[in-house]
Amino acid sequence: MKEDILKKTAKEYFSAAEDEFKKSRFNSALVLYFKSLVALIDLYLLQQTNKTPSSHTERFRIIEEKFPEVYDILDKDFPFYQQSYVQIMTKELAEVIKDDVQIMAKKTKIEL
Amino acid sequence: MTCKLWQKKLKLNYSEDVLDIVQFGSSVLDNSNPNDIDIAVIFKKITLKEQLNQAQQIKNQLKKETELPIHINSFDLYSLFHEGNFAKENILFYGKSLLAKDYFSKIFGLTPKIQINYELKSLEKKDKVRLHYTLRGKSGKYGLIKKYGGELISPGLIEIYPEHEKIFLEEIKKITSKIKIKKILY
Repeated sequence: MKEDILKKTAKEYFSAAEDEFKKSRFNSALVLYFKSLVALIDLYLLQQTNKTPSSHTERFRIIEEKFPEVYDILDKDFPFYQQSYVQIMTKELAEVIKDDVQIMAKKTKIEL
Repeated sequence: MTCKLWQKKLKLNYSEDVLDIVQFGSSVLDNSNPNDIDIAVIFKKITLKEQLNQAQQIKNQLKKETELPIHINSFDLYSLFHEGNFAKENILFYGKSLLAKDYFSKIFGLTPKIQINYELKSLEKKDKVRLHYTLRGKSGKYGLIKKYGGELISPGLIEIYPEHEKIFLEEIKKITSKIKIKKILY
């Protein structure tokens, strides 16, 4: 079941992100929080439309069209995921992405 | 649709936390073919979370003004000048304020200029003349300096506005490659 896989990956990434965060490895934490966020967004899409996107491009397109409030979260956070390979990420930024994961967890009714 | 958003009359909604909204990168340069538009939103001291949320709202408004993708970055004055901000020079030197419709650096009382020093000594006479015509014009036609508001400081040294850098360099390099460039804020 896609839904189970998405729930499992969202939780696993979040838990791993928390571990990295505790070790003050904020780049790793940010990447993992973001992956958790994307899994939750896909879960949200599945819950709302019975479909999951096959690529980032499709994901962006669908949520921009149908769920602008979710689009704003993804569009806002995605650049930091991209930059995480070449820039030092701060604790504060990792916390912002974590907050967004929690917003999506509420929307999808998932306990992380 | 122009990509120079800073030249447009925009009705943007933004909070008092915003110090400036700055367009920078290739989209502010003349003679460039940008693939996207870089925008920096400079905030007074507010939380990062709040900065990002407000920047996203500004991005949503700017998206309606252009077909090019907009990349938005948010800073406060500390993060703008932080050594980890690789876009710092670009924002400070080339940045154009969408609010003041002028150079962003003027907010600090600084005007950016580029000085191009080109060596005349080694040039043949015909190339010296070509260069002179290119820069100063010929037979009533404007040269680059008059056309783009530059200034001849002394023989072999001109001062231009940053956004015209590419135009001047392309033309001068057709005649000589012995060029030195200095970016100044004064």
